Amino acid sequence: MWKFIAKRVGQMIVLFYIFLALLFVLLDLQPGDISQQFVGNPDIPPEAKQLMIDQLGLDEPKHIQLFNHLKNYSTFNMGASWSQYPRDVSDILFSALPRTIYLFLTATILAYILGFWTGKIVAWKRNTATEKAVMGTSIFLWTVFYPWFAILMLWFFAAYLDWFPVGKFVTLNFESRPDLVNSISDVLFRTSGSEAASGWTSSAAPGANDVFMLLFTSLIVGTIAFFGIRWIVKRQVKDPTTQARLFTGGTVLVFGGFVLYWITNEYGPWAFDIFWHSVIPVMTLTLVSYAGTTLLTRTSMIETLKEDYILTARAKGVPDVTIRDRHSARNAMLPVTTSLVLALATVIGGGIITEQIFSWPGIGQTYLAALSSEDIPLTMGALALIGILALIAHLVADILYAYLDPRIRVQG
Amino acid sequence: MTQVVEIESRGGRAGTTLLEVDHVVMNYTTKEGDVSAVEDVTFDLKNGESLGLVGESGCGKTSMALSLLRLLPDNGEIRQGRILLDGEDLVELSEEAMRQRRWRDVSMVFQGAMNSWNPVYTVGDQIREALRLHWPTTLTYTEETERIAALFEMVGLNSAMIERYPHEFSGGMRQRAVIAMALSCNPKLIIADEPTTALDVIVQDQILKELKEVQAELGMSIIYISHDIAVIAEVTDRIGVMYAGKLVELGDTLEVFHRPRHPYAYLLLGSTPSITGPRRKLSPLEGEPPNLLDPPKGCRFHPRCPFASDRCKSEEPPMTDIGGGHEVACFHWEEVPEIRELSK
Ligand SMILES: Nc1ncnc2c1ncn2[C@@H]1O[C@H](COP(=O)(O)OP(=O)(O)OP(=O)(O)O)[C@@H](O)[C@H]1O
Ligand SMILES: [Mg+2]
Repeated sequence: MWKFIAKRVGQMIVLFYIFLALLFVLLDLQPGDISQQFVGNPDIPPEAKQLMIDQLGLDEPKHIQLFNHLKNYSTFNMGASWSQYPRDVSDILFSALPRTIYLFLTATILAYILGFWTGKIVAWKRNTATEKAVMGTSIFLWTVFYPWFAILMLWFFAAYLDWFPVGKFVTLNFESRPDLVNSISDVLFRTSGSEAASGWTSSAAPGANDVFMLLFTSLIVGTIAFFGIRWIVKRQVKDPTTQARLFTGGTVLVFGGFVLYWITNEYGPWAFDIFWHSVIPVMTLTLVSYAGTTLLTRTSMIETLKEDYILTARAKGVPDVTIRDRHSARNAMLPVTTSLVLALATVIGGGIITEQIFSWPGIGQTYLAALSSEDIPLTMGALALIGILALIAHLVADILYAYLDPRIRVQG
Repeated sequence: MTQVVEIESRGGRAGTTLLEVDHVVMNYTTKEGDVSAVEDVTFDLKNGESLGLVGESGCGKTSMALSLLRLLPDNGEIRQGRILLDGEDLVELSEEAMRQRRWRDVSMVFQGAMNSWNPVYTVGDQIREALRLHWPTTLTYTEETERIAALFEMVGLNSAMIERYPHEFSGGMRQRAVIAMALSCNPKLIIADEPTTALDVIVQDQILKELKEVQAELGMSIIYISHDIAVIAEVTDRIGVMYAGKLVELGDTLEVFHRPRHPYAYLLLGSTPSITGPRRKLSPLEGEPPNLLDPPKGCRFHPRCPFASDRCKSEEPPMTDIGGGHEVACFHWEEVPEIRELSK
């Protein structure tokens, strides 16, 4: 298993450098290349221009430039942004990164769990009204024009029902929406509307990024704890009843701990505000990939139900629900996991659109902004980061697959 | 070794009746019409006895076996008849009651048992699942493992393989493991559907011998299903010959093997090369079994039968005892030559 992971990581690094080099070459081939774009400014005197070319190493042969580029990227030195000069590209990107990961990880995990569950149920109960309804909805969601759907969601939940805020990351001034935010934070948290109600612009407000990082970290820790407990219990405890009890206990513990942590935390209301803003984007993204997972799980389940081992399980007198979950669904999971990777391209594309529509300040939005302001270093950095994310997601799916399928596991 | 891991038979006293299949009719409903896969089959089986069911491909052997466990696909239905196991009619049982009988009372080794394993669980865990469902008492994990190890030993597998996944087993090993799983809950009856067909002749022989030894030791009943009469003749007490969904001949193995009275059995035997038995002239069985959507009127074998008369085309020959418990469904059984004559 470790050998397998090491091999995959090695391949990933090689792939990443090839990707970087390709990006470099592609951008270099663009008509408005770096030297002309920045150094070609007619207001700059020729001496200064020459100095700049020297300093930026633009007179070096192309392959040396490429080498320097790769070397700099290896040390996370991505240069300075042009549009937000003199901020470092890496600084801009790394502050946007957790927001993107938050959006996508939450949506992916939710979509996978819900979609898998629905697909499983629907495949088991063929030819029912439920199946037809679920199939209809899923096919609609799967084929819908995504930007249109996102705007529809925004209109319905934010404008029509007025349940959630329209886009953005935080409520700048709580007073602009006293009806909503005050009452929510009053009911849910112990704040008496004093500090929290004055919003992010007040002097008592914490930095939005700090709060978000705390929320993000606590979510990651919670998720790892949840799956970690299940993994350890599964390995260490062999008795099924004890196992089930420990699973429930673990879930209650992690969930309870999480809720308790945020109720008692002084940043609670602010974290809740951020969470509140993320509901529609997460929901929209979730719904669309949920539909895909549902459809695929259903097909995959129907296939596994035809396998010989299902007949064996029935002959063994295994109860129906156990056949569905432990035998059929467990195997149906394998192709669904592979599809997670294949769906990645859509998710990245959809991600940029999502962030733009919901004004969610993540990598996608940064990328689009960089592109329109011709900020080449930032564009390059954003693309490289998206590349890394895609590669990491591939790796995770590979490991997950190897973990789920013993036939892959041993090959190493 | 503790009490629980001891492997013993729960079968009743040898010689008493375990299973009675009584005029069972089983059909598959398809778009084109009903497929008459099992038609009016009657036989019984004693405790400790082994019975072979033979016939060409598509003559309803597997359908018969699946009917016994009520494991038919959604379009299959037992239309008539009773299946009495220890006097209790399985056809009448509720689905839940039937589920509890499965594997506890009747286990099965499937045709193509090599694919019977779920690829994502260890072989040991899959046997464990059966034990947890059907073992009368609750066993600890260690007790379960001990019992699985004992079963592995019994079928000639190394108990270190318990923790391995199916793909790490060779075909023959997987087959043995399937047999170990079939034995796991001390069933009264094991149905072995082509248990060795996919294996090479040597492994085939070994596995059948082992099964026979296990049976001698534990005394459960076994129904062997095969298209190769020569293979199962060595391990069975009685043989039933099926043709196009009907049981056409039933009798002691030696009787049927050496003096088949039904023309189909006769031709089937004639077309089976035998290494151990008397030399036989190969007289091929011509034609193909009928489409069971629309089986021939009268005797279902008459279109291929060299002895067929007009009566065979309109009237179904009933199973008749011709002495010594040897039953044949043919009007012309007396005309069927002694198989020895063939070698002249
Ligand atoms: N699910 C089904 N639906 C419709 N017809 C079926 C179904 N399963 C089997 N049959 C038909 O029933 C008949 C008996 O099939 P069965 O599998 O019992 O034969 P078999 O004797 O076991 O053959 P083999 O030696 O090939 O295993 C065949 O004609 C087959 O086409
Ligand atoms: Mg068959």
